[in-house]
Amino acid sequence: MSDGSVRSFYGWFTTLGLLVGVLVGLGYYRDEYRPWKDYQRRFIREEIRRATTPDQRVLAQNTAVQVRQILLPDLNRVDRCTTCHLAVEDPSYGGYPQPLAYHPLHDQHPFDKFGCTVCHRGQGRATTAADAHGAVAHWDEPMLPLKYIQASCGQCHDASDNPAAPELERGEQLFETTGCRGCHRLGGVGGNIGPELDRVGARRSPDWLRQHFLAPAAVTPGSGMPPQKFAEADIEAIVLFMLSQTGANLPGFYASMKVIPSASEGQRLFQQKGCIGCHSVGGQGGKVGPALDDVGLRRTPEWMMQHFRDPQTVSPGSVMPRFGFTEAEARALTDFLLRLRDQKLALSIPALMGPVDRGREIYRKYGCSGCHGPEGKGGVPNPNAKTAEQVPGLTYVADGYTKPELKKLILRGQREIVPLDPRRPAPPLYMPAWGSTIKDAEIDDLVAYLFSLKPKGEDLGF
Amino acid sequence: MSAPLPRRIWSWFAQTRVGRSVFRVGPPQSNLERSQAMVSSFLLHVQPAKVSRHALRASYSLGLGLISLYLFFILIVTGVLLMFYYVPSTLQAYDRMKDLQFVISAGLVVRNMHRWAAHLMVLFVMMHLCRVFYTGAYKQPREFNWVLGVGLFLMTLGLSFTGYLLPWDQLAFWAITVGTNIAGYAPVIGPKLKFLLLGGNEVGQEALTRFYALHVIVLPALAGLMVAVHLWRVRKDGGLSRPDLPEDSVQSLPLSQLPTNKSYGLMELARGTTPQVGRDPDDEIFSWPHLIFRELLLFMLVVAVVLFLAIFWNAPLEELANTVHPPNPAKAPWYFLGLQELVSYSAFWGGVVVPALLVTALVLLPYIDRKRQGVGRWFARERAVANTIFSVCLVTAIALTVIGTVFRGPNWSWVVPWQTPPAITEGH
Amino acid sequence: MNRSPPNANGVSRRGFFQLSIGWLAASFAAAATAVATVRFLVPNVVFEPDQRFKAGAPDDYPDGSVTFLEDERVFVVRRGNSFRCVSAVCTHLGCTVNRAGQGYHCPCHGSAFSEEGRVESGPAPRPLAWFLVTLSKDNRLLVDKGQIVGADKYLVL
Repeated sequence: MSDGSVRSFYGWFTTLGLLVGVLVGLGYYRDEYRPWKDYQRRFIREEIRRATTPDQRVLAQNTAVQVRQILLPDLNRVDRCTTCHLAVEDPSYGGYPQPLAYHPLHDQHPFDKFGCTVCHRGQGRATTAADAHGAVAHWDEPMLPLKYIQASCGQCHDASDNPAAPELERGEQLFETTGCRGCHRLGGVGGNIGPELDRVGARRSPDWLRQHFLAPAAVTPGSGMPPQKFAEADIEAIVLFMLSQTGANLPGFYASMKVIPSASEGQRLFQQKGCIGCHSVGGQGGKVGPALDDVGLRRTPEWMMQHFRDPQTVSPGSVMPRFGFTEAEARALTDFLLRLRDQKLALSIPALMGPVDRGREIYRKYGCSGCHGPEGKGGVPNPNAKTAEQVPGLTYVADGYTKPELKKLILRGQREIVPLDPRRPAPPLYMPAWGSTIKDAEIDDLVAYLFSLKPKGEDLGF
Repeated sequence: MSAPLPRRIWSWFAQTRVGRSVFRVGPPQSNLERSQAMVSSFLLHVQPAKVSRHALRASYSLGLGLISLYLFFILIVTGVLLMFYYVPSTLQAYDRMKDLQFVISAGLVVRNMHRWAAHLMVLFVMMHLCRVFYTGAYKQPREFNWVLGVGLFLMTLGLSFTGYLLPWDQLAFWAITVGTNIAGYAPVIGPKLKFLLLGGNEVGQEALTRFYALHVIVLPALAGLMVAVHLWRVRKDGGLSRPDLPEDSVQSLPLSQLPTNKSYGLMELARGTTPQVGRDPDDEIFSWPHLIFRELLLFMLVVAVVLFLAIFWNAPLEELANTVHPPNPAKAPWYFLGLQELVSYSAFWGGVVVPALLVTALVLLPYIDRKRQGVGRWFARERAVANTIFSVCLVTAIALTVIGTVFRGPNWSWVVPWQTPPAITEGH
Repeated sequence: MNRSPPNANGVSRRGFFQLSIGWLAASFAAAATAVATVRFLVPNVVFEPDQRFKAGAPDDYPDGSVTFLEDERVFVVRRGNSFRCVSAVCTHLGCTVNRAGQGYHCPCHGSAFSEEGRVESGPAPRPLAWFLVTLSKDNRLLVDKGQIVGADKYLVL
């Protein structure tokens, strides 16, 4: 080298060399050090400590420290929760602090078939606690607080009958009785004033849902939904039910879970198959076969199952035909009959009910009470509506309309509501057109029911 | 004391039989060997044996072209590594990005390096273009190299754009939706071009497959080829541009009239402001080690910066792409935000006419501006008009990009970023 | 400029020191990068069904039974209170073997295996593998196809 031009750069060379060296080292170190490795080593130490035989000790010592995952190709998921939650299947770890605690109640839902996130939500592919639990930016499905876990049951199972998920059941009952369907469509049935609720559980957080029930206009500006007066326990239940509506379209094996036999499924089958033609319940029905009110006291579930499969085998000489029920259907019917014993289930069989009673069922089914109040009593606010700023009650509807007029109104709806003060915003609640949702025969029954609301003996003398 | 240890090791190895079969020239000790080290090496021989002192001045070129090249290398290496795990399927791409972050060793650093190097490359290619303009280095005989450079600039944008879609998150999906919609505004060919790009009418699996093919093989191969020709032209056009010296009075000579019967060797072809046979040797110095060492240092610096960024800042990954839920606002990648701002005024004028005019102006520039003065110096006064026009365009482009980045909020409305935005009433 | 005179190569003592440190650091960085690159390419997780799986409760298998598990391609054999798990993958070219009498028979090229999986006839080069069977913490049979054990290793409950 003839001049110093390169020599003057030696300092640079050193600095840059060191810098690159340090950065590579730093990058590699940060990558190798992962918190889950600590948890796994802790678990291994605990296993070694608890080992009672040399075999067990060797097994524990040879446990590899590695990422663990549950592959769920049908659900297109990979759950890596077991990388830290290492003892979920080991009952002897009950009561240990997380993440080494045991997870009870997994017999019906084995982890290798269901994973974790399908019930608990969160980010299954992550391997750090914060990311895996999902309450991070750019992840839409944070873990469900444990008190709402029954919401996940509703993704596969019927909400209306699941003894293992009483909160979910309660939430569904509240939904039906409060009349939410009057404004909100769910499962294709309901009004169109508010948004459809089929995916609300996937889009909204539990806190948002709570606040929305208590003060809808505060979280959704311009909302016409009246604040709901629920007791605290009821709010939790209905929030839970909302959370269960995720619109999850689960494939194959998981979809078959909907056919899990349940008593309400059994009731539906009971009505559908026409059992009431030969058997009676609550004094109503046919006399060919025995009354079924206390069959749960007289027969075991196994006998009933076999009877459904082939009546002749357990009841020789019976005229009951073989219906060809699937096992699931037989289970459902058995559950239903057992429930009759427990709860004296009020059996509403449309064929045996009068139009007014049917109409009452329809009023409940389509959520009319959400706007018109329970039994048409009114009281639901509709700001700026000429009708005393309320949705009109229906008690005296028989005075204002003929049956055909009322039927037409229900079918066509009334989109424009006369405002009290034209300068204020239009009333948010209106009467949807129910023609596409309520079937024709149902309308007649509904009208009959509404006409029956007027208290007897009142004569206004006009 | 004798040479440093690495030098001693290499000296020993270079004179063993194996060493001599690989490195035909040992560590250079004489000027002849220094020349041979450059000329007889496959990787190095695109550079001349001697370079003008002026070319080595960091303050002249700022090494911008080299930095762009190094970033390209880093992108190729990290890109190939990423190809071992990435799957171009709408059902798997996003999950693979998550796997890179969580279960692949060094996955996060490699991905981050790739992302930051990509952004830096777009930036440095633009800066390199500006440098070449401001030093008048596009003038004769370097016109075609400038055109190649503009082509490379478009390749860089294309590479960045095609790569942007691959993570298949909200950011990627909607940026490409916006970008391809802008492309669709072109008259006559616009919709067809968009259909060709997307392999369909909407951004979906076909688009992902095509963008992947473009991103990993078509555009890199084309760009690599163009880089090779670009560097070759630098050499053949006489190295980096230099200011004319008073002694420069040599006219262009046709090849057939050169006073030598050799057309190549350890001498450079004489043409204009290039190193010439018979010139004073103190104006040039040997590439080995002066150029090579500087290039090595610059490489280390680039690697250090990219590594530093990759270790401390994560490349973004938003939610999985949701085709029915655009973010508000949906923004194109930053280098297209100026364009998106223009498009918000007029799709045709802003999205088609202005960019087309700009690219055409750039390509035709060296054939329009034929004055030979002002080459080899920054902001030469003789080129005041050209420099001013360019600067105005540059500042406008930067301003539009800044506006699009910082001052545009939901529904592309004007927002002041240091004030809290008003609550958005979202539809159900 | 530093004080020590340059040596024959024109390198001063300080320059030598700087160069050495620089080359050392750069070499370390290059080596570490190479290691990191190789480590990057080694998968930490595989997207295949787990080698370890649960084969149900011990009482799901009647005494004296040989049960074929289709998805995992193994036979679960119970004799009294001892369990073993035999691979159903023929060691010749990988077809699934069938039960044949007390032993196994491969339909592809006719290899015949004894009850313990020993090759009795046919082109198979090795006996059928026995997999490690243990009892999981929640009392299920745990089979590990990644651990092949000798043909005398039973799980005895």
